[in-house]
Amino acid sequence: MFNPLLELARSMQDTSLRLDLSQSTWAVPIIGAIHVLAVAWFGGSVLVNDVRLRRFRWTGLSILLVTGALLFWSQPLRLYYSQFFRLKILLLILTGACALLPARYARVAMALSLALWAGVIFASRGIAYR
Amino acid sequence: MPFENSWLFPVVESVHVIGLAAFVGTVVLGDVRTLGLRVPDTKHLKAWTHAGLAAMLLTGAAMFFSDTARYLHNPAFQVKAALLVVALAAHFTLRRRGTRFAAVLSLTLWTCVVLAARAIIDFDV
Repeated sequence: MFNPLLELARSMQDTSLRLDLSQSTWAVPIIGAIHVLAVAWFGGSVLVNDVRLRRFRWTGLSILLVTGALLFWSQPLRLYYSQFFRLKILLLILTGACALLPARYARVAMALSLALWAGVIFASRGIAYR
Repeated sequence: MPFENSWLFPVVESVHVIGLAAFVGTVVLGDVRTLGLRVPDTKHLKAWTHAGLAAMLLTGAAMFFSDTARYLHNPAFQVKAALLVVALAAHFTLRRRGTRFAAVLSLTLWTCVVLAARAIIDFDV
């Protein structure tokens, strides 16, 4: 059965970028460190529901996504098969959906997204340990 | 407290990271506001700052005491611990004055603390 996600992970696994990232001593640690700093950047701004912070929040989120994509690219197949990674992606999608809730659900959306972000962090730690 | 081999350690570590998002996240907001970014008033975030700091100190202590030898011999942890003391001291003294210097110092110190902490795993023997 054709599995597009598995095919994508396989093709990424065979790229020279994957080879460089996984074999470099410092690439993954440095990208991981920037990823954690971006958690602080984005995590704090999520607590303030003010539209003026939107650019600040998006910058932090972008850094999270770019470093996250690179971290994924360093071991695509292993992460594809990781249950914790799949859970993390699911929670990220749900958090994105939260942001689309209409304005009158703002308080619920905030509480829900904070809970989901906590879940993302728990799932992330799980990836490293399994 | 021998829990470094069970699922409990990642859970404690996760709470540590959540505390980081709350504490460092809100401190960063306050600092960039001092430096001119148009951030709305962040006074109401104080609860998050304190809760985050408490969570980090409690989970940090738990992780440290679960394997003191590992951490005491780890150069990255030694650097982190030293920077943490300086960063906390600056946070509770200099930062109150609200000067731009204090804000830049705060951002720099906490960034270095996070980087040193991330390096712990790389310097384990």
